[in-house]
Amino acid sequence: MIEPKRVLRALAEHWALIEPLCERFDQGTLSLIELRQHLARHQLDSTPQDITQLLDLWIRLDILVPVAKSPNRFELNAQIHDFLAYLRREHRLGLCLEIEAYLRHLERLAGHIQDAFDTRDSDDLARQLRLLDMRVRDVLKKLDNDEQALVAVAERAKTSNRQIPLRQRYAEVLATWDEYVEPMIQLVNADGAFEQGVRKVESVLLHLLGEQARLGHLVDDDMLLRTHARILEMQTSAQLTLRHARELLLPLREEARRHNAVTRGAALALSVIRRKGLDALPHAAMPLFTRPQSTFLGSASQVEAYVYALARFEPKPARFPKAHKTDKDPATQAPRTVKEMLQRCEDALPMPDLMLWLLEQEPNGATDELLYWFSRLSRDKRFARQRLARRDYLTCEHSVSLHSFALTSIRDATPESTASSAHAS
Amino acid sequence: MHLDLSELSQLAPIFRELFKGFHVSRRDPELYAQLSNFQDQYRTLFKALGFELVCDTRGFYYFVPEQAAAQVNKTAQRLSLFTFILVEHLADQGRDPMAVLDGGSLGRDELPSLLDKYRDLFLQAEVQSVEELEEKILRRMTQLGFAHEEGGVYRFLPPMHRFLDVCLSVQQDRDLAATLHSALPLPTPVLAEEAPDDDAASVDEEEEEDEAAALARAIRDEQQEIDA
Repeated sequence: MIEPKRVLRALAEHWALIEPLCERFDQGTLSLIELRQHLARHQLDSTPQDITQLLDLWIRLDILVPVAKSPNRFELNAQIHDFLAYLRREHRLGLCLEIEAYLRHLERLAGHIQDAFDTRDSDDLARQLRLLDMRVRDVLKKLDNDEQALVAVAERAKTSNRQIPLRQRYAEVLATWDEYVEPMIQLVNADGAFEQGVRKVESVLLHLLGEQARLGHLVDDDMLLRTHARILEMQTSAQLTLRHARELLLPLREEARRHNAVTRGAALALSVIRRKGLDALPHAAMPLFTRPQSTFLGSASQVEAYVYALARFEPKPARFPKAHKTDKDPATQAPRTVKEMLQRCEDALPMPDLMLWLLEQEPNGATDELLYWFSRLSRDKRFARQRLARRDYLTCEHSVSLHSFALTSIRDATPESTASSAHAS
Repeated sequence: MHLDLSELSQLAPIFRELFKGFHVSRRDPELYAQLSNFQDQYRTLFKALGFELVCDTRGFYYFVPEQAAAQVNKTAQRLSLFTFILVEHLADQGRDPMAVLDGGSLGRDELPSLLDKYRDLFLQAEVQSVEELEEKILRRMTQLGFAHEEGGVYRFLPPMHRFLDVCLSVQQDRDLAATLHSALPLPTPVLAEEAPDDDAASVDEEEEEDEAAALARAIRDEQQEIDA
């Protein structure tokens, strides 16, 4: 039998060395060499003999115990470890099953209390009531410990590095939810084991109070009332712990779920785009923007003329040309259609310089007309384009400086030339 | 509601920015503070003028175009595509996409590798080079208030939630997931193209093809009847 005072004195005397060791032991066992290195780091002026003596003392006091089947590895004595965790305000989340087991035990104790009362055994009744009271205190202690542990879980998740993936960051939260909170919700439910157990114990105690009044006192009523009050406290405490757990962890769990949904949504969207193109995304989901900036390329005079024509619009009969006559007057010639221009452009492929070609085609064309065709033809998907160096082009009205394009048919474009156009800027 | 225009001291710049399609967030403290303090007044005033001001509780304001006039434009598609790509890219790298897109940042030096990895997808958005990626997507994002560029780093702003919402709605779209595994084309409306001439031509061709197919079918039916 080790004297408790000696253990406590050793813990107090070597607290500076033992406290950092607790964290290491939380993660697993330590070999003798690791232990010696750890102590040497924290006690720089100590000799190897001092360290050996210290370790010997801890082993003799049962503070350190060898790991089963590995005599060179050590761990903290489980009782000491729990005591140190309590002193360091560390809380390890227990299992919901433990609470359920306690509840089952409470139900059994209620049965024993009933039996003791039935046999009018006052000593046994008092003993069973004391056991019940202690067991309820255990549950209360455990609920309090679990609540602190849940706070620590949430804190760890919130303060972890924001750069690591959320799934990893909140892994502990998700595991805690699945392994503790969810079963606790089931347990504390109106028809769960917790409520059933509490109800059973409570009814036994209340029945006992009534029977004592009728048949005479075996134990003090105060004892029964105190135990009853503690049972109710346990019930409230369980509900509060659960509510607190939900408040703490639910937002974090939702955040993790939302993160997963966003990642899954993005992956789904990309696979749809890969298979069916960009237009395949449901338009209802896309954000809508106001688009005040027009992408229409038009000169001020064009806009003015357009507005003027709109304001002064008068219907007039159109004269269709006669089939047998050819109209030579350029003023009455219809403007070229996109289809026509695309066809002409396609016939002229490969085209070393689009702007030069346009100037040849339309030597008297207005600058804005030419720029419109330049923009329209260069962007057409049936042409592969390669950007040329900036240079000046003379239209009949202006000198225009731009990067023109060399056009080739997209069908003729070799992968090399496509790649080179892709890199062109 | 009584409107006191003297209270709305930032009316002109706010309207100018919102009208341009800009999203006002805390990045523009003066405009944001005005909008937050006189949210109802601004909303009422803009509503009377025919603009719907959206006050998103995640910390940003924007104009939403009328449904009738609205059309999913190329910019929206490009920016959505960029968001999808970025989410997947960051997740692949083991980084937290939400942390980056909700107030985090992306270095300009990360763009070339992003473009290389998703070249096929960027091609669909007519983005072929890093310059085009910056010009057509990231500059547009900064213009619309989704991001802010400083010293070669793009910092994403709260309005990015609009694109994260797209990810969520895509994820919840069971039809979309179902069509992904089917060979049938997606039942989506065709976007109006910029060149109507082409559309007319293609419609004509389709009609011609339809007529030819109908004729062939009629001949085949008739033949079957004769044979019978």
